[in-house]
Amino acid sequence: MADEYPFEISPMFEGERIRKDGMHVELSGPKSKGYELVRATPMDEIEDGKFTLIGPDLSEMEEGSRHPFAMIYKIAGELVEEDLESIVERRNHDFQNYIQGLMHLNQRYDVWIRVSKDAVAKGLTSFEPIAQAVMMLFKNELPFIEKVEAVYITDLAEIEKEMDNVKAIYKSRDDRTRDLHDEDVDTFYGCTLCQSFAPSNVCVITPDRISLCGAINWFDGRAAAKVDPEGPQFAIPKGDTIDTVAGEYSGVNDLAKSLSSGEYDRINLHSFFDYPHTSCGCFEVVGFYIPEVDGIGWVDRDYAGVAPNGLPFSTMAGQTGGGKQVVGFLGIGINYFRSPKFIQSDGGWDRVVWMPKHLKDRVLADIPADIAEKVATEEDAADLDSLKNFLTEKDHPIVQRWEVEAEEEPEAEEEVQETPAFAAPPMMQGMPMQGMPMMMPASSDTGGIKIILKNAKVSIEKVIIQKKE
Amino acid sequence: MSELTTGKFSMAISDLENVQITINNIVGAIEKEADEIDVEMGPTVKPGVSSLRDWDHNILDRYNPVYTPMCDQCCYCTFGPCDLSGNKEGACGINLEGHNAREFMLRVITGAAAHSGHGRHLLHHLIGLYGKDHPLDVGATNIIAPNVQLVTGVSPKTLGDLDSVLSYVEEQITQLLAAVHVGQEGAAIDFESKALHGGMIDHVGMEISDIAQISCLDFPKSDEEAPLADIGMGCLDSSKPTLIVIGHNVAAVTDIIDYMEDKGLNDKIELGGLCCTALDMTRYKTGDRTLPRAKVVGTLAKELKTIRSGIPDVIIVDEQCIRADVLKEASKLMIPVITTNDKVMYGLKDRSNDSIEDILEDLTTGKEKGALMFDYEKLGELAPRLTMMMSEIRKQKGIKRLPTDEELKELADSCVHCLKCEVACPNSLPISEAMTALSEGDLSNFELLHDKCIACGRCEYACPKDIDIVNVIEKSSQRVISEEVGKVRVGRGPISDPEIREEGVNLVLGTTPGIVALVGCSNYPDGTKDLFTIADEMLRRSYIVVVSGCSAMDLGMYKGEDGMTLYEKYPSRFKSGGLLNTGSCVSNAHITGAVIKVASIFAQKNISGNYEEIADYTLNRVGAVGVAWGAYSQKAASIGTGCSRLGIPVILGPHGSKYRRALIAKPYEEEKWKVYDARNGSEMQIPAAPDYLLTTAETVEEMMPMLAKSCIRPSDNNMGRMIKLTHYIELSQKYLGIMPEDWHKFVRTETDLPLAKREKLLKILEKEHGWEIDWKRKKILSGPAMKSDVSAQPTNLKRLCKEA
Repeated sequence: MADEYPFEISPMFEGERIRKDGMHVELSGPKSKGYELVRATPMDEIEDGKFTLIGPDLSEMEEGSRHPFAMIYKIAGELVEEDLESIVERRNHDFQNYIQGLMHLNQRYDVWIRVSKDAVAKGLTSFEPIAQAVMMLFKNELPFIEKVEAVYITDLAEIEKEMDNVKAIYKSRDDRTRDLHDEDVDTFYGCTLCQSFAPSNVCVITPDRISLCGAINWFDGRAAAKVDPEGPQFAIPKGDTIDTVAGEYSGVNDLAKSLSSGEYDRINLHSFFDYPHTSCGCFEVVGFYIPEVDGIGWVDRDYAGVAPNGLPFSTMAGQTGGGKQVVGFLGIGINYFRSPKFIQSDGGWDRVVWMPKHLKDRVLADIPADIAEKVATEEDAADLDSLKNFLTEKDHPIVQRWEVEAEEEPEAEEEVQETPAFAAPPMMQGMPMQGMPMMMPASSDTGGIKIILKNAKVSIEKVIIQKKE
Repeated sequence: MSELTTGKFSMAISDLENVQITINNIVGAIEKEADEIDVEMGPTVKPGVSSLRDWDHNILDRYNPVYTPMCDQCCYCTFGPCDLSGNKEGACGINLEGHNAREFMLRVITGAAAHSGHGRHLLHHLIGLYGKDHPLDVGATNIIAPNVQLVTGVSPKTLGDLDSVLSYVEEQITQLLAAVHVGQEGAAIDFESKALHGGMIDHVGMEISDIAQISCLDFPKSDEEAPLADIGMGCLDSSKPTLIVIGHNVAAVTDIIDYMEDKGLNDKIELGGLCCTALDMTRYKTGDRTLPRAKVVGTLAKELKTIRSGIPDVIIVDEQCIRADVLKEASKLMIPVITTNDKVMYGLKDRSNDSIEDILEDLTTGKEKGALMFDYEKLGELAPRLTMMMSEIRKQKGIKRLPTDEELKELADSCVHCLKCEVACPNSLPISEAMTALSEGDLSNFELLHDKCIACGRCEYACPKDIDIVNVIEKSSQRVISEEVGKVRVGRGPISDPEIREEGVNLVLGTTPGIVALVGCSNYPDGTKDLFTIADEMLRRSYIVVVSGCSAMDLGMYKGEDGMTLYEKYPSRFKSGGLLNTGSCVSNAHITGAVIKVASIFAQKNISGNYEEIADYTLNRVGAVGVAWGAYSQKAASIGTGCSRLGIPVILGPHGSKYRRALIAKPYEEEKWKVYDARNGSEMQIPAAPDYLLTTAETVEEMMPMLAKSCIRPSDNNMGRMIKLTHYIELSQKYLGIMPEDWHKFVRTETDLPLAKREKLLKILEKEHGWEIDWKRKKILSGPAMKSDVSAQPTNLKRLCKEA
């Protein structure tokens, strides 16, 4: 019960910063050692609510001192499984920050905690109430946790003894995350959380495709669906695999059909052009097709400039969204760049021609080595001409597509040229005869006036149009 | 020639080659804009007075007008005065309800006219300088003018495009003003609808004013790192010649700043401003984040004090919120006043066509107390030169400003403690007690009063002993005033689209509990510190706090225990725990603009001429609330009323009751809290929040929990509801010491309950409200009045429902 703790618990303390002069003790952190770990444990091996401390307690620590610190939470329950450990573990960060006078930074073996002088002055003398509060919050928020037990360690030798094992656990989790692919699971997750703002959007979250907002991955979806199967995150039975490359599954299609009231009946999870995933409003990055080079560019929210097509993020982002399937623009979460299935149906990275430098740097490690230097940034290409030159110069795989297309469809290209747009004066100069019929249809209702002017400038101050009386 | 559009184009007609035709204006083709290919238009493009009446009646049915008449007479025509008390009708047949609704509407359109009149002046001026084709640029956005587009369907690209929109605004104001005349509208509810129309129009007028100046004057453009400006009476270096500008319209001042820069006078003259001109002076030429050229002295509440201090050597005024006695007060201290706008001329001679030397001669010799000057280029040179000269002259003459220490004591001793000053004081400040303390040499009472005093001067007229009480307060507070040095974030203009998209995650997930806009004037019941308290509390709770105008200034006047203003402490980005200053009074349009963008960006709603649907979206989904804690002006009434029509609730400080009208819902009328679910047209029960669209709060303590509750919306997901409910309960406990009595009405499932108190609250629900709880699974089995369904599509509009 909140009232029984010697501190307040509220999300309002989340942003609380404890600086050096306000700090009673510092735990773990860059100048010490420690970790946080959640372990799925068999039911009968847990005594619910038990707290064990190995090493000195808070009351035995001198003001201003620094100590090693590890937190282990053992959780059990019918639905608890190893895949949920990291989700629960991440909540330790949030919950500890809800506690007034406690600051928790970073995660895993980088955790860095400070307890404020004020908290100690208000009666916090032991780690036990902190552990109890976190356990209470775990159980309140994640009811699939039926039993929980906490072990805190402030003894350096104890921590060091386990460090290698702990790191091995993190590593195996990371391996699992990286090696888990769409084909390895039979359930995807859907998220309708943003329907409160974007009425028709449905995110399909798979091991190879994070939510567009970047906030929810497959494991998050799985945890949330366990907490509340009728909640905004729910399981999607994958169904039959229709197209492995494009990522088309009968279960996803069925869902798309029912949730869009029949507006769409197909979604290809890993396609940019054919039945792409819908976009909401808060996607991190928008992809855009550049017809001139037949490639795809990506631009993120933090990029203030314009892409080679002359448009900034805000303009292109405005082209898609609201849960609509828009061909030519696609919103994604940054982590989707790291997916091995990244737009694989359209050539994957071989189709990517441009992205802002800071975005490219951020995902560089996940760009296939042979293509990395061939993707242009604003430093290489500011407009379409320089982009073309850059791609040609670097022999980007897209260049081969141009050659193939030029061979295959020479006639189609000519046809395109024969249809000049209205807003293209330079082209008009070259072909006045072709332009004329478009501007002045033969059956023009403007009468038979013929004016011949050359290189003239006509200035009209005001034109008055009046309706016929 | 149905293809005719304004602008330049080239084409080939028969043998015609490379011909450029420029058409400046097409008269009679306004409707054509709406027919532009590919632009989806909503049902109300350029709505007239009655076009949105259905929506108004829809919201007024839940949010009922509540009148608090200050006077039960009507004196509008020569039939009167008519006594309307006791349900009597006046000679023209109007009753008290109708008359009060009319009075409120008049306030609203007066405010709207002030903003759009300002916009018209500015637009003429800027088109004269930059031409009609000057492009509009307000930063990263697809929607340059959300309010303009929402109301008129026009997506303006150039200064010239704003011109026709402003004509629409002016037409609407004229039509509304006509309804004030005797023998027009008779029904209160339709005066209310007209007031709402005026409020909506006001946001269009404000937006035009601000995007025009942002685009032309190198203001920050949606800049989250706009620089900080100095603020406070204490930041003026009184040893330098000092030029003070008062008002709202920066047009005249830009020439002064340019001249000073050209002549290298920036370090030689102190340039300070009062009211929104001050804010806009700091925005001028800071688009590149260079330091502002001017300082902000403060709000209207500092006008009389600044003049009485004798520090200004010259005063320039433009328009709005300028004391009517500036010339009289300034003349007493030999401060020449230059008026620059036809809204404020003080009876001064028009010197626009006279030579600068002649004007300098007349003003420095005291032959004339001031001048009217419409030629801003001339003003640019005149004002700095006059300031330098007057500084010398006034020094030599030894202008006596505030009383000496001895005189101060004598003044205090002469007080007879009749308390007439306290009765006259709008805030009933304890002046008499402070006089007693002062007699004994204790300045502290007056030092405390300084922040609370709005320097209106009514006390001085009430005093039978003719004590200049404002001077006494000011003299006694010299120490405090000298320390009055704060920082204000230069107005950033609109919120950019990328910012909204990024923060969208938090708004959608519910981790950002809401948006609180602190707007309006400086008539606070208890000084500027309240604003700091409100903003600090909400920022700590990760609300987004947006400020503008006087509130933006006063927030910068106060420092926390760490010696920092909130502007220095919190990021100025549109994100959880961000503190944004949009700019001056007309920048309020960017706050409603951001809400409109939310609908456009997240729901991909068409916003062109689609007011009703967007207002409906806002009311049901966007957790935003406005606070005008010190609202006094007609402009504040129109800004707030514009928010009401768009579905954003607004809380006014206690003085707000003098607007005589509120819009308050009755949470107990269950049938009023039903909307449609757009998925199938079925009825759904919604929580009674917000339970007002315009109301007043008596104290900060009372208001704090209201803020959290006002951000609760029918479409909240569980995490969002949980966080909002957490803050509602916590703020109520912290400021009022009680659990709010209606907290359980916002609970739909156990996941809506505040995390840390879940078990305890479940017990209360079981015990006190008879809800059924499954204790093993900690689930609510029965009890809640409504279901939790994040995919529900709440709407007040039947026409938006499928299968309706």
